Amino acid sequence: MAFPLPRGITPPEISFLAEMEMVTIMPRQRLESLELLGGLVEPLLPPRRATLPLWLALLLKRQRRANILPPSWLHPESLSLILDIETQHHDYQHAFSPPPPLPGQPSLRNLNAGTIARPRFTPDGGRYFTAPPFLPQNTVQDHVLDGEPPALPFHWLEVGTMLLDAASDDLVDPDQVRRLLKELREVRTAKIREGVDALDAAATGGGGVALTGVGAMEVGEGRGFISGVVDGLRKIGASKEQARREQMAEEIANGGYDGTQDDDDDDMEF
Amino acid sequence: MSYYDIDSILTDGQKLPCTFELEVPGLGILEGNPGDNIKAGTRMDLPLWLGKMLSIGTRLGTSRLVNLDLPPALSERVLNALKADPRTVDLRAQAPHFYNLSEQILELFEEEEMVEILENTFKKRAAEIADHAHNPKGVLGGGVEFLRGLDETERQLFRVAHDSAKETRIWAGEAKKTGMTK
Repeated sequence: MAFPLPRGITPPEISFLAEMEMVTIMPRQRLESLELLGGLVEPLLPPRRATLPLWLALLLKRQRRANILPPSWLHPESLSLILDIETQHHDYQHAFSPPPPLPGQPSLRNLNAGTIARPRFTPDGGRYFTAPPFLPQNTVQDHVLDGEPPALPFHWLEVGTMLLDAASDDLVDPDQVRRLLKELREVRTAKIREGVDALDAAATGGGGVALTGVGAMEVGEGRGFISGVVDGLRKIGASKEQARREQMAEEIANGGYDGTQDDDDDDMEF
Repeated sequence: MSYYDIDSILTDGQKLPCTFELEVPGLGILEGNPGDNIKAGTRMDLPLWLGKMLSIGTRLGTSRLVNLDLPPALSERVLNALKADPRTVDLRAQAPHFYNLSEQILELFEEEEMVEILENTFKKRAAEIADHAHNPKGVLGGGVEFLRGLDETERQLFRVAHDSAKETRIWAGEAKKTGMTK
């Protein structure tokens, strides 16, 4: 191969990206505000919680200058609840547990409950909604939304593993958390493997496969295999697809799509 | 497929049974009799690239030089075996580039049923490959027979799945990184 690197990004690169996630820390020392390329980091005043990027939080943790407060989903209770959804809930037998809701979207569980959007404003006064990776999915919320079930964020595996590595003493029952993360990973890997049956939908024109709720690391791990299978199916089905297109072209030629053809003609006149 | 793709070159070299429809002067060299003519009705195995070129009259509607048959790798017998259980068939024994070959064949022949059988085969075997790729013990244990029967496309798939699983395990600290490169 002329290009030695495989397609996609490697696990260390994925976890590098995950270090941009914001986490909540409890500083033990004062620190002036830092001017970084990504913007100002708030000054650290010991009794007050602060929200920092994960890489900085890990650095401070290793230097024993701060404690990391684990995000709400990284508790044994939340994780076992999610594990229950993944394994027991019949709606999610073959699907992944729902991701945390995006701002501006109703929760997946109760679509009628209305939006929980809290728009933010640019300095010019423009309204906008933040999107991943700038969503505070790994920070500690002061107020938990009523009835909002725990959900795994996009970078769950990376953040979870890194926190277990560097800050296991800050977590609640780290051994249990480690076991649950491993189990979740196994359950979800099995689901990705089962999903091969659905992949021929992705190989035909207009088809698609739902990957809602799949984490970054899982996408990275499955990328090579999944794209390989889709590619293989596409090649085998190429002649069938060709026949389908010819049939469609024939239908169009026979006046199957009168309306669109007239439109095209009109456009041509201008 | 790239011009320099070695797999595609090897696929083009696979033999295809052909029947000559016309007498061809001076082509006896294909039979091993240089200088002689080839008689109409001679059956012989020609490489895919040659057979494809000689049969080109079929598509143009003029009289054609040779008539193509399905290769033994895609015969009724193999397809029936694949229909029964895709996992037990040794695809590599049929043709080292089984899927690439069938892809080329499907361009030449219109075989709706074959497409379906092959798609189903590929899917079933891909799931099995994923299992073996994620479980390194499977390579040493009962999976040997199955893995030996993978064709080239499936071997690449196995390698990709195995490598990505391994890289993830190394990242998670579950496996040690070895000095060996792939």
